[in-house]
Amino acid sequence: MKILVVDDFSTMRRIIKNLLNDLGFMNIVEADDGNTALPVLKKGGIDFLVTDWNMPGMTGIELLKEVRADDKLNSLPVMMVTAEQKREQIVQAAEAGVNGYIVKPFTAVTLKEKMSKIFERVG
Amino acid sequence: MLEENNLISDDNIARSKDLLACLERGDENGARDVLDELTRIRETELYMEMGKLTRELHDSIMAFGKDDTLLNLAQEEIPDARSRLRHVIKMTDDAANRTLSAVEESLPICEDVTNKSSDLHEKWCRFIQRDMNVQEFRELSLLIDKFLEGNTDQVKELRSKLNEILMAQDFQDLTSQIIKRVIGLVEDVETNLVNLVKLAGGNITIDFVKTEDHSIEAVGPAVPGVDTNVVSGQDEVDELLSSLGF
Repeated sequence: MKILVVDDFSTMRRIIKNLLNDLGFMNIVEADDGNTALPVLKKGGIDFLVTDWNMPGMTGIELLKEVRADDKLNSLPVMMVTAEQKREQIVQAAEAGVNGYIVKPFTAVTLKEKMSKIFERVG
Repeated sequence: MLEENNLISDDNIARSKDLLACLERGDENGARDVLDELTRIRETELYMEMGKLTRELHDSIMAFGKDDTLLNLAQEEIPDARSRLRHVIKMTDDAANRTLSAVEESLPICEDVTNKSSDLHEKWCRFIQRDMNVQEFRELSLLIDKFLEGNTDQVKELRSKLNEILMAQDFQDLTSQIIKRVIGLVEDVETNLVNLVKLAGGNITIDFVKTEDHSIEAVGPAVPGVDTNVVSGQDEVDELLSSLGF
């Protein structure tokens, strides 16, 4: 399983990467915003996308919309890990087709739970 | 100021010719009349120009007073920024304490493992050198057994402390987002103050910074007591999503 972690802060990417390693996911690639993530996704081979919302360039919600609009990527599981916690934002992400939404600061347990839940659903 | 083309007019040329004619024929009163007339014209235009400038200044001051950008900055944005910066202090403080606690709890574990290892090593060397009786060897075997048994738990404990340190670093992302927002506010204040200074200095050009509506844009981490209509944590996110059929 190859996971793409998108966040503009390298510290947060390192945290998520370490937590994913801890959960047994060793094949992790990184990008620092939607603009750099999209070509990686379009190239193929990514099985799961973890993205922040608030990033310069292309934001996470824009990236999510791009993914859902792409024929090859539209079924890719997408999980948002973000500090954005306004109700309308969560609703917006849900409407755009997010599979999981985690608010920062989060725990390793939350990440594990949400990932398992997504895998259960998408099979 | 009087414009060049206003000064050079047929009327003024005629007046000047009158003045010259009066002076040549020694008509002092006539010359004074013409001079008074010219002065009056000049003063009238000066007053008009000053009046225009005063009106522009007045309009600008009124416009500045009506614009609520500065008022909004002073009454809402700056206290809001103070709360956000206090929240940054709290987050960095919490992160530092979480990290320090995890380190403080880890050090005795490391020390215990080091002490036990060096004790075992010393005894093991004696065993290799055949400098150990049977009773001592039995004790050494028990010690090794106990050490190996406890070791797994201690490494597990250390791993959890390291994980705690890892997770404590999430403050960097969150505090940076808040600080970036405050920097934006400081830039707004700067622009508005520069405009105020320009206005006071007589330069009438005012380019107000528009206050944008950020309602659906990314706003960064919610600050307790400052942000409204936000979820208070993961449980509320889950609740909201499940109400949407997730």
